[in-house]
Amino acid sequence: MALYETVFIARQDLTAEDVDALANKFCNIITDFKGKIVSKEYWGLRNLAVRVKKNHRGHYILINVNANFPAIAELKRVMGYTEDVIRSSIFKVEAHQEESQLFISHTAKDFKPNLAAKKQAGKYDLILEQFQFDS
Amino acid sequence: MSIENNYKANNSATSENNEDTFIKISLVNQSVFIRKKKSCPLRDIPITEINYGNLKLLNKFLSERGKIIPARISNVELKKQRAIANAIKRARQLALISPIKKEVN
Repeated sequence: MALYETVFIARQDLTAEDVDALANKFCNIITDFKGKIVSKEYWGLRNLAVRVKKNHRGHYILINVNANFPAIAELKRVMGYTEDVIRSSIFKVEAHQEESQLFISHTAKDFKPNLAAKKQAGKYDLILEQFQFDS
Repeated sequence: MSIENNYKANNSATSENNEDTFIKISLVNQSVFIRKKKSCPLRDIPITEINYGNLKLLNKFLSERGKIIPARISNVELKKQRAIANAIKRARQLALISPIKKEVN
């Protein structure tokens, strides 16, 4: 068993229920191969920095997984032909984060626009503000 | 050596970690050069904090055009510079950071 992080971007015109259904569909693939889902995160409907398959915005979903390689290979194959997914990537990691910096809610259903604004400042933000490089 | 002592006395009040600082004074043509060794700006931040989701950190290490700032300029240590470069490439892949920014004219 190894630890993986899966991030995918879903099309912007999906509803919150569709996004959750899509995430559950991918989770079921992992559990069919006797893998474990560690956590799920929804980062909201974000503006894309670049146009991806003619989309300007997209739903970001992160799934932390503890599984063997066959499960990951199957997940990658299914993500490839699903039309609602516009971009996906799977990274192998040494340890999972408890909560990523872009975390807003666990599922798309719980998402509220207020939550993003209420988010507390990070632990190291004060140090980061002091950086200045003259290039 | 009075200059060095004065410099240290002035500096000790402002900077807390004097061990990191390195002062070199050379008297050439009767002019004084004071050189201070810069330390890594990320020394207080653990390497696990550097990942593709931490956009606040990654944006500090991008130039105006969206290129990665070299370690030669930012003085980041080698292991962390490699982690930053990898994290920025992953963030570009996921459309969190744009690969290039257009020049404003």
